[in-house]
Parts: sequence; C-alpha cells; structure tokens
Amino acid sequence: MTVPTQPLLRIRGLSKVFGEVPVVDRVDCDVMPGEIVMVIGPSGAGKSTLLRCVNRIEVPTTGEVVVDGVNMAGEHRNGRLVADSPAATARKRRRIGMVFQRFNLFAHLSALDNVAIGPRRVLGIKLADARALAAEQLARVHMSSHIAKRPIQLSGGQQQRVAIARAMAMRPVLMLFDEPTSALDPELVGEVLEVIRELAEEGMTMLVVTHEMQFAREVGTRVLFLDHGRVLEDASPRTFFANPGQARAKDFLRRVHAMAEG
Amino acid sequence: MGGFDWGSVWYAVPYMLRGALVTLEISFWAMALASLVGVTLGLISVSDLRVLKTLVRGYVYFVRGTPALVQIFLVYFALPRVGFELSSFWSGVVALAFNSAGFIAEIVRAGLQSIDVGQTEAALSIGMTTRQSIVHILLPQSLRRITPPMTNEVITLIKNSSLLSVISITELTRSAQLIIAERFVPFELYAALAVYYLVMISALSRASEYVERRLA
Repeated sequence: MTVPTQPLLRIRGLSKVFGEVPVVDRVDCDVMPGEIVMVIGPSGAGKSTLLRCVNRIEVPTTGEVVVDGVNMAGEHRNGRLVADSPAATARKRRRIGMVFQRFNLFAHLSALDNVAIGPRRVLGIKLADARALAAEQLARVHMSSHIAKRPIQLSGGQQQRVAIARAMAMRPVLMLFDEPTSALDPELVGEVLEVIRELAEEGMTMLVVTHEMQFAREVGTRVLFLDHGRVLEDASPRTFFANPGQARAKDFLRRVHAMAEG
Repeated sequence: MGGFDWGSVWYAVPYMLRGALVTLEISFWAMALASLVGVTLGLISVSDLRVLKTLVRGYVYFVRGTPALVQIFLVYFALPRVGFELSSFWSGVVALAFNSAGFIAEIVRAGLQSIDVGQTEAALSIGMTTRQSIVHILLPQSLRRITPPMTNEVITLIKNSSLLSVISITELTRSAQLIIAERFVPFELYAALAVYYLVMISALSRASEYVERRLA
C-alpha cells in the first residue's frame, strides 16, 4: 500500500527566455519529500537557471513553481493568479535554502554571523538566540572551531560549509545546490560533498546541480539530465548511469568519463 | 614690487579665524544635510522605485550640469519665493547641501553597485527583502569604498563654500575680501587665504585616512 503524498516541489511548463533564447524550456517535474534530485548536463544546459527559477532569484518567463503547496508566483483569488508583492516573495523564499557555486558568504560578517543574520533579521529572533542557533548549524557542518573567522580567512570548502549552515539555519523544506563544488580545489571537494550527503541522509529534499558523477550516482535518488533547457532524461541514478536512454546523455557521460580519466 | 605686507596678514588673523569658523560651521551643517539627502537618494537609485529613481536621476543631471555658483543664486532667490524666509547663513547651508547631495547620491549608488551581485542573491535566498539586503549586506560592505570619494566631496564642499561670499555670508573668503577692500593688500591676503584652506583640508584628509584604516 502506498501513502499518497503531495510532491514537495511541483514544476509545470517552466520556461525562462533570455532575449529570444529559451534557457529553460518547458520543464515539468515533481519532487517528492526526501528525494535527492541530481541535475546534470553540459554547461549552458539551463541547470542553474532552472534552480534559480525555483526560488525566483530568476523570474520565470512562463510556468508554475509550487513548493510545499505554496505557489511561488502569487496567490489564486477568484480563479486568477494575483502576483505576489516583493515582500511576499521574500517570505516564500525563506522556506527554500540555496547554496551557490561561489559561496557568496557575506564578506563583512564572521562565519557565526553569516549564519545568524537570517534568523536575526528575517525571522526576528533575538541576537543571542540567533547566534546559538547559528552555532548549532555550524556544528552540523563541522565548523565549530572557525565560527569567529571572516570568509576570507576560510578555505573554499570551509566557506561552502558555512554557506550550507546559513541556508539550513532558516529551516528550509527544500535545498537547492548550484554546483556547490565547482569552484573548489579538488582536495576540498570531498568535505563539502560529505556534508551534503549527511543532509541527504537526514531526509532533506534537495535539488543538486553537479558535475560530480560519482557523487550523483551514490547520493542521488533520481537524475534529471538537461540539455538546451529540456529535460531529456528523468531516471534513477542506476538506470541513468548504466544505460542512458538518449544519445545526448550517452555522449555527455562518455565525455565526462574521458575527462575524469584525463 | 614692494615687500610682503606681513602686518596686514597679522591684522587679518582674528577676522579670518572668525571667518574660518563660519566656513566650518556652514560646511558641517551643509554636509550633514547633504549626507542625509544624498544617502537617501543613493538608496533610491538602487531600489526598485521607478518613479522616484527617475526624479533622482533628473536631480543629479541638473546638479552635475550647472555651476555651483548658479545653484547658490538659484537657491538663495528661490527659497523666499516658495515661502522659506531663511537667514543668509541657512540659505547658504541649503544651497551647498543641494549641490553636494547630488554628488553623494552618485557616490552611494556607485558604492552599492560595486558590491558583487552574489551578495545580494545570497541575501535574497535567505528571505531578505531588497531593503534588508541593502541595509544589512550592501551598505556595511560599501562603507569602506565610499569613504575616499566622500572625503573628496567634503573637500569640494568646503571649497565651494567660498562661493557663498556672493550672498554676503562672512565666511573665510569674504572676511579676507573685506580686509583687502579696507587695506588693499590682495596678494598677501589671498596667499594667507590659501593657507587657511590648506590647513583645514589637510586636517580633514588626515581624519579620513584614519577612518579608512579603521574600516579596513
């Protein structure tokens, strides 16, 4: 017997057009709670834009994004969609964590305050409580011994772990990872992937844009293969990596393997 | 050519010190007002308030495109017409601030826009509004970049205050001119005047360098 569950993330007919070029092209996708969706594909495929459309850092040209039952674009009133005010959009974004390729830690704040500022300023929690919460989140990403440091005093891997803690401190229902290890030196990739793996094991629902194929295979519960803004494959990692259905996916994997073997 | 008339320079000291004090007072109030208005206008420039943004752009366009002297006369003669009967001191303050606020708006706008867009995206991603991202993320980071051009602006403002002699404010320049008229010693007193301004502005530059180091 299956328990009927609502998808945590529902994407319908999502397109993002820059000028005349559709970077994301009519994407449909349902993500169930606890799913770890690995979004892969060649550069320029629209993976990052897809993610950025989910939390409306990028405003989609057409289509619908619903997160945990909440339409990200606005509210339906009398059968019409009334667009959200900027403040309402900001409120909805709290529920979605995002981790960026270039970390984007707040340069003027310590690691602790990078994590505390969301609870403090967005949720209005008292400073002492926000910092306590931040310290907890930093412990989860194994950064307790660096809480007083500024971003420039941290390695890339450490910065990215703080960035993950910053997102988690908002208690999101969904996490978006936009190539979280692409800007890292090879020896620092592992520590960040390890933290993401731990979050996955705790049941966090996530969309991860990545070029780390082994990681995608091991941690993902599902793979989306994008090219030219279209979802060409939507399969389990096992199926996808063993036997990709599409010629373009096969070609992509062959090139990735060739690169990995140098 | 005769000798340098030191006597007139000494004679002028009390008058010019009083004038220097007026210059500093006017500059202080003008800078306070200009900062308040200028920072507000700069924030509007990076906000998403379309109509206000256009108005700010128009204001900056006007201030940049007209001489400070013309602006001073305009403000001085316009204020009474719109019902503000101010003393010439406060007219001068308003006139200088009117000019400076336009430049400060541009300094603040450029400072905010020089911060990496990823900082804003990260702020938005944790649920901040645009306003929160500016106040808590962009402004603190741009302070250090804004300090040097702001110092330039204060210097410009102090120097522009010499133009207020035309609306009969006895600030530093006019106090010198009054003595020149009385004793006819233009070279001596203009030389002295230059030194007075140099001293004030050097002190200010030092203070600014200190602030800049503290913000580093």
